[in-house]
Amino acid sequence: MILHDLLFRLRSLMRHPAAENELEDELRFHLERETQKYVKTGMSEAEAARRARLEFGGLDQVKNECREARGVSLVESLVQDLHYATRTLFHSPAFTACAMLTLALGIGANTAIFSVVNTVLLNPLPYPNPQELLAARENDSLANLEDMQRQTKSFASSGGINIEPMDFTGTGEPVRVHGAYIDAGLFTTLGARPMLGRLISADEAVKGGPRNVVLSYSFWRDFMGSDPHVLGRAIRLSDNSYTVIGVMPKDFTLPKELADVFLSLWVGYPDAAAERDVHFMHMYWRLKPGVPLGQAQAEIAQVDHRLAEEFPHTERERVTLLIPLQEWLVGDVRPALLILFGAVGLVLLIACANFAMLLMARGMARQRELMIRASLGARNGRLIRQRLTESTLLALAGGAAGLLAAKAGTELLLTLKPAELRRFDAIPMDARVFVFVFVISLLTGLLFGLLPAWSASRGDIAEGLRENARTTATGVSRSPLRSFLVTAELALALILLAGAGLLIKGFLRLRSVDPGFNPANVITMYLQLPGSRYSEFSLQTNFRRELLSRINAFPGVEAAMITDLPLAGNYVGHRVVVDGHATLPEGTEPVVQTLSVMGQYFGVMQIPIRAGRDFNAMDREGQPRAAIVNETFVRQLLPGQNPIGMRIDWSRSSDPPQWMTIIGVAGDVKHSGLNQPVDPAVYSPFSQNDEAWRKFMTLVIRTRVPAASLAEDVKKQVWSLDSQIPVSSIQSMDDLLAVSVAQERFNVLLLGSFAVLAVALAAVGIYGMVAYRVNQRTREIGVYMALGAQHRDVLRLVMKDGLKLGALGILLGLAGALALTRVMVSVLFEVKPTDPTTLIGVALLLAAVAMLACYIPARRALSIHPMTALRRE
Amino acid sequence: MPSRSIDLPQGTLDLLILRTLALEPLHGWAVSERIQQISSDVLRVQQGSLYPALHRLERRGWIKARWGTSENNRKAKFYELTKTGRRELEIEQDAWQKLTAAVSQILETA
Repeated sequence: MILHDLLFRLRSLMRHPAAENELEDELRFHLERETQKYVKTGMSEAEAARRARLEFGGLDQVKNECREARGVSLVESLVQDLHYATRTLFHSPAFTACAMLTLALGIGANTAIFSVVNTVLLNPLPYPNPQELLAARENDSLANLEDMQRQTKSFASSGGINIEPMDFTGTGEPVRVHGAYIDAGLFTTLGARPMLGRLISADEAVKGGPRNVVLSYSFWRDFMGSDPHVLGRAIRLSDNSYTVIGVMPKDFTLPKELADVFLSLWVGYPDAAAERDVHFMHMYWRLKPGVPLGQAQAEIAQVDHRLAEEFPHTERERVTLLIPLQEWLVGDVRPALLILFGAVGLVLLIACANFAMLLMARGMARQRELMIRASLGARNGRLIRQRLTESTLLALAGGAAGLLAAKAGTELLLTLKPAELRRFDAIPMDARVFVFVFVISLLTGLLFGLLPAWSASRGDIAEGLRENARTTATGVSRSPLRSFLVTAELALALILLAGAGLLIKGFLRLRSVDPGFNPANVITMYLQLPGSRYSEFSLQTNFRRELLSRINAFPGVEAAMITDLPLAGNYVGHRVVVDGHATLPEGTEPVVQTLSVMGQYFGVMQIPIRAGRDFNAMDREGQPRAAIVNETFVRQLLPGQNPIGMRIDWSRSSDPPQWMTIIGVAGDVKHSGLNQPVDPAVYSPFSQNDEAWRKFMTLVIRTRVPAASLAEDVKKQVWSLDSQIPVSSIQSMDDLLAVSVAQERFNVLLLGSFAVLAVALAAVGIYGMVAYRVNQRTREIGVYMALGAQHRDVLRLVMKDGLKLGALGILLGLAGALALTRVMVSVLFEVKPTDPTTLIGVALLLAAVAMLACYIPARRALSIHPMTALRRE
Repeated sequence: MPSRSIDLPQGTLDLLILRTLALEPLHGWAVSERIQQISSDVLRVQQGSLYPALHRLERRGWIKARWGTSENNRKAKFYELTKTGRRELEIEQDAWQKLTAAVSQILETA
């Protein structure tokens, strides 16, 4: 039935001219036949024709009704409406520009954020059947991974990976690249295929396997010159020669890690790879199709249990927690992104309210025209439809402009380098983004066009006409819709302002956190000694000592070294035992940060020594081992004791223990991030830690000259000692501090600009309302003033409504903010979502803005000249 | 035109058209004539309103149209009932009779 109807309409539309002719023929036949009938009764031809026409009724009207009955008129009138709308919009460019700009701002901001949400949260991972992929929360060893794979049935495959910096010495300066040490299962699990050659096979991923390497696409392009015959070539990585066996395709990336070259774990860690208790690999798993996560997790838990029983000393505490890969990747950023998306949605609502008010004002201005058309017989429905066509056309045009704004916006977002987008170098606008823009534009045009059109058809026009005729007693038209829109706008703006205020307060708190060191005038750079030539610990120590003495010889420079820099990311944790404390079961001793230092580290970083002394030149190899702990160490592990002189050692490091004596207590340093708690830490001299594997170090230099000029000199010094050492990550401590709060800064900047946009739009809304009222009541005000009213009275008269609505909106907004800002808990730093100072502050701010927005148009009322106003009609 | 003709109640025009077409395919003018004749000129059908009704019925699929030659040898558009139309006619006719019976019963007894 419906199908028939549709097909019929469609056919009528397709054969439109033919159908028109047929209709013409059919009706003409009727009239002729009728005329003939009357002629037969003896009428004259002309009289008969006249009679027939009379009997028939209005020919054009019948034709129209027939068209409507055939269902053609719907489309036809749409075309008409579109034509009409375009014409009238071009006739009032100011209105069109205002409406489009309003919507372009609202829709543009939404589209930009949606593009980010789309890229980060919605787009599937670039692997086949990504829903089967899991990540493990904890790292593990290859032996455990293999046991788990063997003893479970839920998984199709699993793979392990560990990323380490390597130095590629091809031509020119040595370059630091990311090496991915992988087992043979990794590529299988991710479903990756090589672009050239082959991947590392299970046969060669064994102890003593060949030194083969698979290159990433970018490495192949940048360092191999996209050589198609690269297979079989030898390249030097960290002083070893590797044979290229494959190149990955351009679009292949690891889920989270950056990697330039892929090598077998067994090549990278021939000893550690076999050790069950060296948990150095990150693991990915692929479920067999259809196996639920719960079942897989239960199976893994059984294996965990068996391993704990079998190896109680080392494996008792390990737990394998599997999470869907997508969640693992975006879990941290999802709340912040969704909050931003919600906030930008509110901005759109405010923009839409302004849009609706613009349309209403325009409706009022055009009421004469509408009246005339209505009295000429245009039906109400048709008039509404026409206005809807106009608003939808405007909204779609605004959406198109918004799309352009969003394109620029996403590029701006990328330059802010927030954590959300670190994995991406572009935010593509795909089909989903276009559909999003189209749908919200369409909805905006229809819904917010319908509101004023509907309210106009219900009587605002009539009311307006009465006013035009100046016959109403009050002379005031209070459109309830306009009042509602203004109130809602202010309430929404307040919610956004409250959210932004809370974020800013949290951000300021975060920025004022004392990192524990003085970042000013400090530059840092990362070095790694090639293992092949610095395998001996004494060689490493000599290199470090020589480099420091050379750099310290620069005028105005103080230098020191540390293994892991604060705020840079990771640190190495060791379990620690305290001499004289009860022995804890193995594997349950407390874990502390372990940091090797050389030179005046605490002096260079300006970390205060709270008790005892700093290291000095005598704390070196061959001397009693010394350690400095941080305050948190003392508070947590040695509460109420004097730590100076107490002895500690890494658990199980040596038997008998080689005790380190605590010689000092250093101030706490926010090592893991400003918003993270401080962990207990132990500093000890590089020269006393026989840990030859710590070949990496960060050179920390405090300078009195501009740091940038120094960096090149320092590099030259490094290379004068050894030309094969890559120097990388040259950055100032200030920059590092800024990067550590980049995520928060991004949220603050975005939500802050949304709030500003919201307040501006709301201010325009309330301004428009008051201005409109002033305009509407010009005559009344003129009478008032003629009767001797004071400026104050006039101001009160025109501002009263605006202020009342403003106050109501702010109150409602406060209630809304109290209800909504709770979702922000996870992104706020040490600020309660109901922080009263912030809420009161933003309410006052918005009140001031609203007052100003009322006052400016109201002041115009004061300049009204009574006589002019009275004459105006 | 007799002075005592009455206007058609809302919605009955469709029923009359279907009934008229149930006997044979007719063109629009003939339908109008037939209704007037059979009702002995009591019912007054505004001729113009006939055509939108015909087109509406055609869209619903109750009648279908084809071009043919009229009794005076002219090209004319003939309408005939479809199967659906025939079924609808029965339903409507039945409903109408029930309605009129009920109304007249009330008029007689109340």
